[in-house]
Amino acid sequence: MARTGVKQSSWIGRVFFADLLAGLRLTLGYMMSKTVTHHYPDHEKWVPYQRHRGHHFMNTNEAGEVNCVACGLCSKICPCNCITVIPFENDQGDRRPKVFDIDLARCLYCGLCEDACPADAIKLGQEYEVSTTNRATLKVHLEDLIAAPRKSEDGGDIKPAKLDSAGSQHSILRPESDAGRDWWSRVRRD
Amino acid sequence: MEYVLSLAPLFIKMAIVVGILLLLPLPLTWLERKIAAHIQQRPGPMRVGWHGLLQPLADAIKLLTKEDHIPAQADRMLFAIAPVVALVPPFLVFVAIPFGEPVQIFGTTVTLSLADLNVGLLFILAASGIGVFGTILAGWASNSKYAVLGSLRSIAQMISYEIPMGFSVIGVVMLANSMQLSQIVAAQEGLWNIVVQPIGFFVFFVAGLAEAQRIPFDLPEAEGDLGAGYHTEYSGIRFSLFMLAEYLVLVFLAFLNVLLFFGGWLGGPAFLPPFLWLFIKVGFFIWVFMWLRFTFPRYRYDQLMTIGWKVLLPLSLLNILVSGFLML
Repeated sequence: MARTGVKQSSWIGRVFFADLLAGLRLTLGYMMSKTVTHHYPDHEKWVPYQRHRGHHFMNTNEAGEVNCVACGLCSKICPCNCITVIPFENDQGDRRPKVFDIDLARCLYCGLCEDACPADAIKLGQEYEVSTTNRATLKVHLEDLIAAPRKSEDGGDIKPAKLDSAGSQHSILRPESDAGRDWWSRVRRD
Repeated sequence: MEYVLSLAPLFIKMAIVVGILLLLPLPLTWLERKIAAHIQQRPGPMRVGWHGLLQPLADAIKLLTKEDHIPAQADRMLFAIAPVVALVPPFLVFVAIPFGEPVQIFGTTVTLSLADLNVGLLFILAASGIGVFGTILAGWASNSKYAVLGSLRSIAQMISYEIPMGFSVIGVVMLANSMQLSQIVAAQEGLWNIVVQPIGFFVFFVAGLAEAQRIPFDLPEAEGDLGAGYHTEYSGIRFSLFMLAEYLVLVFLAFLNVLLFFGGWLGGPAFLPPFLWLFIKVGFFIWVFMWLRFTFPRYRYDQLMTIGWKVLLPLSLLNILVSGFLML
């Protein structure tokens, strides 16, 4: 719906409050249009785009070894000093991380570690539900990073989901099917 | 005994009206939040009950359990009675509002009004005028700059808008030859007053918005620039009494708009009882009030006064003049 053009000079329009009526018409249109709010914890869940910087994960090669060469560039570039890397030499004589810890409580999800990494090892994915009531669980180790899910293929959709309050963790959502809804089509842009 | 029995229907009607009026703000707050939300493309309250229907109950419990706080230097007695003073007039007004023609229940004729006064309209305008005292007392007793500013604004606004409001209904009274609301409705048989009194309706509607202190005339409680205006210092149950009064004024203005200009209970489809048809119209007006609220910004104070004295007052006088000439 285009905005009704109300000419300031038109006195007929001013006498009959054409501008006020145009405003009322606009809000009426919005009242009748669909809402764009995600019903997030209850019915649906937003899967972010692949470029989203969410949870950390560590890539592995075909042999199942971590890509990381423990060069420590990520921990050097990290603006909040939340990455701890301690290298060691494994049986094949490769340099690998003995310790690779990320303190999520301090991480600001800037993605600089991802950019600095020369070995395509540390990456940021699309999971964003990392809140917890125990600060100790916010320290993630190498095993957690390897086990963490990789980038999801279907970013940018809203998936039907349910609130899982039975589990030990708080409000984990699990998408039930792949069919997402195109919520952008609902947004009025006038 | 017979005397008591003759009073029984009156007491029953009173209990019903008071009960409904006390409960009405619950659905109305829900409605207001939903309308606000949908205009802003949000769903509004969704989690308490089906589509948030129980949200007002949760709000009520929250308000009732909040600390009842009185500021240190406040005038304690005035502070305590101000919400009650604000609440009584909207209830008082409903005494004179008829909800339909007399009906037959169990062989006895029951009038659908508490008292169909023959000066009903005058009584309603006078009673609703008392409501401003609650605002004045609240602002004065709070010992707060914001509250006093809010109540000062509200006094000026009420006085300015009561005059065009009173004048705008004179045309209706002239057409009906009566101030009795049931007579006024009966006079609209066939032709609603909105057709013959469009200017009167416009003035009454706008002045009514100002009387109810709703956007675009909600200066007394302008959240943005006065904290909350006259009820800045109120909390808990006393605050909710003010909110109750505000919603009741809204309802009674919707009733007046319908009774005076939109034919009251007349003109409905045959299968609907007349009082239901009246309630549908009233509901429509409440919806319009809320729709206006979330569309318009607030008028500036000088604009408010300009509209009241330079636009509405001459318009209402003109309306009296024109309808007088046309009736001659």
